[in-house]
Amino acid sequence: MLGIWILGLFLLSAAEGKEVCYDRLGCFSDDAPWSGTVERPIYKLPWKPESIGTQFLLYTRQNENYAQEVSAVDKSTITASNFNTNRKTRFIVHGFIDHGEENWLSDMCKRMLSVEDVNCICVNWKKGSRCQYTQAANNIRVVGAEIAYFLNVLMDDYGYSPAHVHIIGHSLGAHVAGEAGRRRPGIGRITGLDPAQPYFQNTPTEVRLDKSDAEFVDVIHTDSAPTIPNLGFGIRTPVGHLDFYPNGGEEMPGCDKNAISQIVDLDGIWEGTRDFVACNHLRSYKYYSDSIMYPDGFLGYPCASYNLFQEGKCFPCPEEGCPNMGHYADRYKDKIKNNELTKFYLNTRETKNYPLWRYKVSVTLSGKSKVKGYVNVALYGTNGNTKQHQITKGTLKPDNTYIAYIDAEVNVGQVTKVKFLWNNNLPNPTLPKLGAATVTVEAGGNRAQYRFCGSEIVREDVLLTLNAC
Amino acid sequence: MKPTMAKVLPACLLLALLLLAPALLAQEERGLIMNLDTGELCLQSVQCKSGCCHHDHILGLTRCAPKAAEFQECSPKTVYGIYYKCPCESGLKCDADKSIVGAITNTNYGLCKDPRE
Repeated sequence: MLGIWILGLFLLSAAEGKEVCYDRLGCFSDDAPWSGTVERPIYKLPWKPESIGTQFLLYTRQNENYAQEVSAVDKSTITASNFNTNRKTRFIVHGFIDHGEENWLSDMCKRMLSVEDVNCICVNWKKGSRCQYTQAANNIRVVGAEIAYFLNVLMDDYGYSPAHVHIIGHSLGAHVAGEAGRRRPGIGRITGLDPAQPYFQNTPTEVRLDKSDAEFVDVIHTDSAPTIPNLGFGIRTPVGHLDFYPNGGEEMPGCDKNAISQIVDLDGIWEGTRDFVACNHLRSYKYYSDSIMYPDGFLGYPCASYNLFQEGKCFPCPEEGCPNMGHYADRYKDKIKNNELTKFYLNTRETKNYPLWRYKVSVTLSGKSKVKGYVNVALYGTNGNTKQHQITKGTLKPDNTYIAYIDAEVNVGQVTKVKFLWNNNLPNPTLPKLGAATVTVEAGGNRAQYRFCGSEIVREDVLLTLNAC
Repeated sequence: MKPTMAKVLPACLLLALLLLAPALLAQEERGLIMNLDTGELCLQSVQCKSGCCHHDHILGLTRCAPKAAEFQECSPKTVYGIYYKCPCESGLKCDADKSIVGAITNTNYGLCKDPRE
């Protein structure tokens, strides 16, 4: 009996306080906070760098369609490649189970290269990501160290400052970026795309991505429901200088489709299956990728909660403007005040081309009859027109004003006119007529206000045009 | 001939939907057969909340899609119940060159216009 206890204690002590050391990258221990805490109960050490086989795949404007593999160990590969020290460098790091040759990484590079001249490097660590989650969550330490080592070589041999570096990491990849930033201080920017929650939430800042890891850290939260029991994979707490919670950050529109519709996706069965497993979680990089093409389509409104945002309590943008979620978030860098509220809310569309533009619309009804039904308004402007958006539903009373916040799929620019339409839910033999006396529109982004008037009243399902007044 | 092909493919889907229905019909609000959201697979426009069951080409899968806004491409209501271009939102008219061939092949395209302008 005593023998078993001694053996048990021996095994326990053997499991604790182990350390591995690797050339170039240094030592990794499994002491707290890395293991043996409430958040990280299982003791794991990261694998050796050769087993993870981190690869750096470079895309530039000279090679948009094929990658050049560069390595800090064999420096001649950097000299021989299209890497240019006069450009910014953006790294993209994938997460659990994923791999660096997955389409979304190279597609994101292509989109960036279409708007700017950068060195875009996809970091592939698939051998280290395709294993038990607890192991992958520790392997990120080696991947982070590999990126830091790469940056050190760039600095020592090419005089390339880490301030020109931006690391974009999805899921576990976000914490890879955090680790790289901790080891190599002074990185310009880190973007966390739904940083992984299990093994990272509520851990000390050295374990996870944190705003101390780079000069500017922006985070997009798309799957921040608790892992138990809601199966949310993304971190819940704000960890950056700017934290965006699109659609509230927990349930993304377009992710609650029935199983067949989700898997048999427009972009193929593989994309569909990925979405079937982790739709909310994967939305974060889709929004980011779209934000490259739509610089003003993802304005984040500072707000205390998503409910208040939905109620319009945080509308419009403050006078200094709203930050853009995604690629252009760094334009807001100088406006960040210390220790201020860092949560930003917005809504997105449910399918590709995710951006939306928020407007406040108030409609004052005119007419004589009080009816049940709904009121729609479509906006027309210098850049096009929106579809009809429902303003209210229920009892429609003349002279009442109904206010709604709509997310338009088009940025109409300067609003020039609006169209009003109402509908009775059931056929009404008295053939009632309703109109809109005034409609006011306020754009969320630039706080511009417009006022439109009408004198007519119309039957249901007839479009009534209101002009500026 | 074309329209019949279009009906054969969704028939298999309908069967699959029906077989899976008991297992997946968990929530009341958003249905598996009726009241479908944008992007969900459909066979007929009546199934969609938006009222348009859309596909890009004859063998393409049909999914619910929003109706066309003013100045967007559209087709008038057809007997097939599926569309290459969705019908217009209420209050608008699909201003199309209607032809018999177009009506049979479901390709009477036009632009949504406000009849009062």
